[in-house]
Amino acid sequence: MGAVHLAHDVLDAQLVDQAQEKIGRVDVLLLELEEGHPPRVATIVIGGSARAERVGGWFVALRRGLRVLLGRREEHVSRIQFDKVRRIGDTIELDVDEKSLESEHLERWLKEHFVCRIPGARGDQK
Amino acid sequence: MKKWSEVALGVITSIGGFLEVGSIATSTQGGAEFGYRLAWVLVLGTLSLALLMEMTGRLAAVSKRTYVDLLRERFGYRFFLLPLVAVFLVSFLVLASEIGGVSIALQMATGINFAWWAIPVALLGWVLLWRGTFGIVEKGTALLGLVALVFAVGALKLHPAWPAVGHGMLPSLPSDNRARYWYLAVSILGASISPYLYLFYSAGALEDGWTMEHLGVNRVTAGLGNVFGGGLAVAALIAAALVLAPREIKVDRYEQIAMVLASPLGRAGFVLFLATLCITCFGSTLEIVLALAYLLAQGFGWSWSENLKPEKDARFATVYTVLILLAAVPIAIGANPLTLTNVSMVATAASLPVTVIPLLALMNDGDILMKHVNGWASNVALVVIALLSVALLVAALPLQLLGG
Repeated sequence: MGAVHLAHDVLDAQLVDQAQEKIGRVDVLLLELEEGHPPRVATIVIGGSARAERVGGWFVALRRGLRVLLGRREEHVSRIQFDKVRRIGDTIELDVDEKSLESEHLERWLKEHFVCRIPGARGDQK
Repeated sequence: MKKWSEVALGVITSIGGFLEVGSIATSTQGGAEFGYRLAWVLVLGTLSLALLMEMTGRLAAVSKRTYVDLLRERFGYRFFLLPLVAVFLVSFLVLASEIGGVSIALQMATGINFAWWAIPVALLGWVLLWRGTFGIVEKGTALLGLVALVFAVGALKLHPAWPAVGHGMLPSLPSDNRARYWYLAVSILGASISPYLYLFYSAGALEDGWTMEHLGVNRVTAGLGNVFGGGLAVAALIAAALVLAPREIKVDRYEQIAMVLASPLGRAGFVLFLATLCITCFGSTLEIVLALAYLLAQGFGWSWSENLKPEKDARFATVYTVLILLAAVPIAIGANPLTLTNVSMVATAASLPVTVIPLLALMNDGDILMKHVNGWASNVALVVIALLSVALLVAALPLQLLGG
């Protein structure tokens, strides 16, 4: 592929890590502006708060209200440098490990505190 | 050879999975109150569903992505929230209704009030989801669901006047009771064309590892399977027209629907009706819960597959666990299953535009489908379904108030 359309092929695309595990979608793409350099695509952001900003102020406020009600304070957002991109195709492969990603916090938390406490949860394939 | 067994299994799955709480309730209500005159609505709903399933299956087989994946990727997060929220809410209502259907069948079989059955039914469903593979959940329940063929036997034994049935397949306007007629028409369409069906189907294409080579299997499964399945719904309508209409019984409880089969087939008909209601609603319960988990997992890019152990897709497994138990709550606290069913069918009909209209763009996107984009005939059909879905959205609330 010669040129890649950022909004069409990258934004909202499925992300996978080195082991092809699904690790969310491209929720936000950031450009880096540096004095003396042209702007460049710099960062992929994964996380609910980043996503909410795309919808609008009312949605950010609604989300914040719900989080206060549920007592959740920490935001678990991953910011990944664009040079970690290994391949852009049906999915976008990143040179990262899901275990190190802040945005996979909920997956890990549920696995440890809920899913694995129920019999029959462990293993790869059923 | 393998292809043919896949085709056969696919068709059987569609037939066994077609009838569920909504189609059983709305088809028999239609037959009881308007004879054969609403049969054309079942034909319209079945054909629309077959086309939508063929298209979403083709999308998945060619692009290796599900319909939900493409909704998010091609329309962006902001738009995606609309189908996400709409499909989530209406499917949750339908899910609760299906649990209600199983519970009512168990009440009729045991005499123990349906409210007591909701939580045990949800727990049993959850165990199957937790331990079972996609094949077990989909094919297993659909094969057992073939017991629904008893509706065809019942209808044939009642010796319907076929010219009159044929006449009912053509649209007609009622002379009186118009609000009720159109209300039931909308309910029947909502029961036939449920978004969870094609969401589940397109995710299933990936679970089963479909490729371009499955395009033929897809066409036959979606086409033949739904036509035969729709035939069973027509059979239920015919039987209700011949058993309930002459006695002027309007269906307001599931017990009355049992008469539709008990009258031509006696005690066996009654037992088989209970088995049909119980098994088909249970099968749909599993399909809807999975469809909802697929919707969230694919929309947000989480790991998902019913063939993986739960620890490999913790968010996906948590979603179906929580939802199946939550959906049992309305029935467990005594909500009327039939009322819930009717409301959810109308809500489903109203939700259709947000999942049907985007298909118009996706099915003509050469980047996704290459040479497998829609031809003109499919596009004309899809535009008609899209217009129909908008009409349903506009008409749903007024008809719920006037005819519900």
